[in-house]
Amino acid sequence: MKITCVIPAWNEAENISRVVAGVRPYVQETVVVNDCSTDATAELASNAGAIVISHPINRGQGAALQTGDDYALSSGADIIVHFDADDQFLAEEIKDMTAPILEGRADIVFGSRFLGKKSNFPFTKKYLIYPLAHIFTRFILGIKLSDPQNGFRALSRKAAELIRIDNREMAHNSEIQAKAYQSGLRIAEVPITVIYHDFGQKLSGGFKIAKDLLIHKIIK
Amino acid sequence: MLQQAIALIIILFFILRLLDQKKKKEIKQNELILWLIFWLSAAIAILLIRKIDQLLSLLGFSLSGISFLVYLAVLALFYLVFRLRLGLAKIDRNLTELARQIALNNKDKN
Repeated sequence: MKITCVIPAWNEAENISRVVAGVRPYVQETVVVNDCSTDATAELASNAGAIVISHPINRGQGAALQTGDDYALSSGADIIVHFDADDQFLAEEIKDMTAPILEGRADIVFGSRFLGKKSNFPFTKKYLIYPLAHIFTRFILGIKLSDPQNGFRALSRKAAELIRIDNREMAHNSEIQAKAYQSGLRIAEVPITVIYHDFGQKLSGGFKIAKDLLIHKIIK
Repeated sequence: MLQQAIALIIILFFILRLLDQKKKKEIKQNELILWLIFWLSAAIAILLIRKIDQLLSLLGFSLSGISFLVYLAVLALFYLVFRLRLGLAKIDRNLTELARQIALNNKDKN
């Protein structure tokens, strides 16, 4: 089984070497999609042993993930792991994420910060942004997962072929979850740990995600 | 009467500008037809503004014909902005696909 890790990265020179080095022992191939960084992200990722694919213009995290998926599928990946470049996730949890696919129990696995493992959530994220995101994804998109905005996921080849990411920015999280449900894929959730170094997505970002999802529904 | 004349002069200006754009091949035939229909309809509505007043009054509306035309214009603008937004989203999606193909092709060359 060939496991490819796709890491979208934009100006992550500070973290990318450490992230690539951390991930490599758990996968057969590491692909960094450099989303037109203006720092040394591409060079550092390449030096750390990753395959680097560079967007000529900045297109956003969702677009970078789909570029990575396209490459991984063409290079024969059986499982694709999506992993953030900002050093928030723990590389050793890739084993837990891929296990349900390797055991034939799931086609797609979503990481969740709400299933037992401890994450150091910022207060407003825990008590304002995530509850609102839950309401939106559950009642508008019909997604019944515990974590609506988590970038740590593992896709079987079948899932990666069925799910095409259209939202080029941050709305891709909910889009992937919604498409997993629509495609009838077997879905699993695995508890993961997130270490917050900065606040990340703000409430305004959450509204933008909701707007992007609705516009993509209309222009489909 | 004076307002109607001013409005008709403005419409005439836009129609002449439209014909000039077509002559310079800056717009296509179907765009010319669409905008001609729009401006000619506006001219007819202005010429028949009293009839529109009467029709609205007959239907029980208290607003004047010119107010009705302004509301219609605002609605049309909302619709055009919406269409424009959708068009931009499609261009944006194509741009992403183009960037992706360039990135993947350049990877093959490395």
